[in-house]
Order: sequence, then structure tokens, then C-alpha cells
Amino acid sequence: MADAKQKPEEKGRFIVERQYVDDRRINEPKKLDAGGMDVSGRWGLLIEPRTITSFDHTLMRDVQREAGGKFIHRCFQCGNCTAACPTAEEHPEFNPRYFIHVVRMGYQAELERVRQYVYLCASCGRCTETCPREVDPAGVMAAIGTAVRKAR
Amino acid sequence: MSDSGRVLVIGGGPAGLRAAADLAALGIPVVLVERRGELGGAPIRWKYKTLAPELRPTEEVMGPMISEVESHPLVKVHRNSVVERVSGPAGNFRIALGESGGGAQELGVGAIITATGFEHFDASRDPRYEYGRAANVIGIHELEGMLKDGRVVCKDGRKPERIAFVFCVGSRDRATNPWCCTVCCGVSIKQGIELKQLLKDVEIYNIYIDVRTFGLWEQLYWSSMEEHGINFIRGRVSQIYDTGKQLLVKGEDTLVRGPFEVLMDMVVLAVGITPGEGTAQAAKALDLTCNTFGFLQPRHPNVHYDSGKAGIFLAGACVAPMSVEEAILAGSAAAMQAAKFVRKPALQAAAG
Repeated sequence: MADAKQKPEEKGRFIVERQYVDDRRINEPKKLDAGGMDVSGRWGLLIEPRTITSFDHTLMRDVQREAGGKFIHRCFQCGNCTAACPTAEEHPEFNPRYFIHVVRMGYQAELERVRQYVYLCASCGRCTETCPREVDPAGVMAAIGTAVRKAR
Repeated sequence: MSDSGRVLVIGGGPAGLRAAADLAALGIPVVLVERRGELGGAPIRWKYKTLAPELRPTEEVMGPMISEVESHPLVKVHRNSVVERVSGPAGNFRIALGESGGGAQELGVGAIITATGFEHFDASRDPRYEYGRAANVIGIHELEGMLKDGRVVCKDGRKPERIAFVFCVGSRDRATNPWCCTVCCGVSIKQGIELKQLLKDVEIYNIYIDVRTFGLWEQLYWSSMEEHGINFIRGRVSQIYDTGKQLLVKGEDTLVRGPFEVLMDMVVLAVGITPGEGTAQAAKALDLTCNTFGFLQPRHPNVHYDSGKAGIFLAGACVAPMSVEEAILAGSAAAMQAAKFVRKPALQAAAG
């Protein structure tokens, strides 16, 4: 992972069309020695691909074991939960439908990006009331919060 | 009974068999012409193990119809035969039959039911999917036979651990066929469940644009997720690469707006439904109209059995893509129309 102390704007400044590349995917080592050769900074730069390379259901199974998370696998991604969610209305990164899918398929990089928003759930239960498949999204959100914390 | 009281049924699949059996049960003699060597159509030819939506054995449906037709004294079956020419007026058609061995004969009938069915889409027409080149890329029609034999393995004998179903191959695509085949979502999901039951710890990924499990077939979709843990990914596969040992499946998960390139052991293509060669041949022999897709065009789009030509009726997947249960209904409906047609003089006389 990139050095946290480095200012984002300095990172990867030699990349052509730099603005298209997400900061988190730029791996530019401050100090790196490759068998006696100094490949620090731009010489050791690596842009991590955005492509999803595996589907992994470990986290989903963890969520299923937490209280409220039992029915996460029922979700067919209709988005009724997000549509009913008062938090989602205000915060674009808080999207129960999206969290469920990311956890289900085990998209780690994406989860890393959005995990800080998981805890914005106000537990009002409107999602659970509206869900056509009885997924209990409110319970699932709580379970995801617990499972993500434990996985750290 | 005279020739004009007899009905010709072209095609021995679900629609044609049902039509022939119903007509015979009404006391109407039937000539059933089947291009292939055996009766049963696609379900028997491709060894469908079970039928959606309840995974009942195909034999439960096809078996009784086949034996009804084969044993009924009023049905004369011509296998390995095609209708080459039809002449004469409705009610007194003259039929020229050709046999694959070279034999030929002529006979007279009063009405005709065309039930020439469909072909599973030939996926080698879409080079993105490596069908016909990569050993472990197969079609749903081929998987049916493997499931029936109870043995699903990769070409090198390995047990597949991850299997992807690619929906809408040769369907909903201007490069091949723009229509929806209506059944391949349900069939793929059914097969996913059967693979889970057969291979236990296999992971199944259904890659779909929409899941079109209409009517009561929706239950299949729900249970595949809820009881069998099958995964669904919304997107359309853009390319399959054969790595030699596995298959790299490339697409976009449109629900996270993320491109994916994931390795699978086996890829099953949910190939669509296309008008068969038999349909094109029958259309020519009977001078019937085909629509732009090559299916037979009924007079009115909502009344499938009416060909628009007196005495000629349509049934089954030669008119539009459909399920086995719909084809059976269509066969029965066409039989009723043909019966009305050949019995018209007698019915009018009876009504005074």
C-alpha cells in the first residue's frame, strides 16, 4: 500500500493523464531497493488494476453467522432498501443494496473504500419493512458492521 | 375415411406429438412426419434430464405422449421423412413425402399442422465465447445430457469447482439474434441447482443481463439463491480466454460498476432458441410466411395457431420461442383447429 504520509497530489505525478487514476491504486514506494538498485519513488511506481480478479464468499458467510445477517444471500439487488433509506438520501456512499453485493461477492478493494460508511446506519428499519425478499437489510447492515470489525 | 378427413402433422416434438395424440383421440386419422429417426423432438434428442420449473423428469411428460402416438392405430408415423411439396386446395391437400433413404410417396390430407420446432443456437457463431475451441465451454443443451448421465467433469477429468453460466448467448444481441429465448434463464438456473446437488461444493455464477423467470418459474430463481446459494452477477460477458487449464471470464459487474476477469473451470453458455432448418424447409414446401427472424408468421401475432392459410395450422416453437409446457398447449390448440376444419362438413350437417 502507498505511504500514508505522502501527499496524494505528489503521488504518481509523472503518470500521463494522472487525474484518471484513483490515489489508492497508486503504489509509489518512498524507499525501495531491488538487489542493489535504487527503485524508490517513480522508478518503483505501480498502478494497481481496478479489475475484480476473484469472487470470494468468506465475508458473506461471516455476516450470515452474525445477528441479523442470516438472510443476506436472499438479496436480488432491487434497491428498495436504498430507496427507503433516509441516510442514503443524504449520503451517496451509504447504500445498503451496494454493501450487500460487495460483501456477497467479496470485493475487498471496494469494501476497503466504503467500510467507513457502514456505521452510518441509523437503524430506523425502513429498509427491512420494504424489502420484498425478507433479507432484513437493517439486520444485515449491523451484521456487516460486526463482521468487518472482526475481520480487521 | 377419405383422405380429406385426415390430418398431416409435421414434426414429432412436444407440440406435434400432442396434436397427433389429441386428433387420434377424437377419431381423426393422422399422418405424423418426423425429419429425424426418433420421436420426441429437442427434449429427447438432447436428453433433457428434467424440466423447469419443478425439476420433474422429462420422461414423465414425453414418455406418455410418445407411446400414445406410437401405439394408436389411427396415427401413421413416418420417420426420417420430410414434406417436400404440398399442392391442391385446402381440404384436399396432396402431400409429396421424401424419405432420407431416397423413397418417396404421395398422399392426401384435409388439413396440416406445422410443428417443426427450433434449434439451440450454435454458439460458434459468436467467437467471443470460444465455443467449439475451448474444451470446457459447453452449451446448456449439452449439459442436459451430462446431467442425465450423472457425470459432469472437465475435459481432462477434473471435477469443476467453479462454473459460470453465461445468459443470453445468441439472444438479445444485434450481432446474432435480437429476440429473447424466454426459457434459458430458467433452464440455466435449474441446471445450476442440479449441479449443486451433483457436485456438492461447486460454486455457481449466473452472469445475466436480466433474470426472466416468468410466471411460476420465478420460484426457481428464488430457491436457487435461498436454498442452493447460487450467485448472480449482473453484466454481459465480453470475452472468454482459454488459459489451457481454466477459462478467464471477462465482463462487468454492473452493480458495482467494476470490470471483472475471473477464472472458471467450466463455462456453460445459455444458448438461445433459433428457427430450425426444418421450419425453413416446411415454410418453403407449404408456402408459409416467415417473419424477419425466420419464425413462422401467424396471421395475427396473438393467435399463434392461425397460419393465415386455410387448412394449415401452426404449433410450438416454430412460431416463437417457448417452453415445453407452452408447446404442448399449442399442439393441443392446433389439433382443435384442425379437427374443426376437417369435421366442418359433418358438423354443418349435424347442425342442420
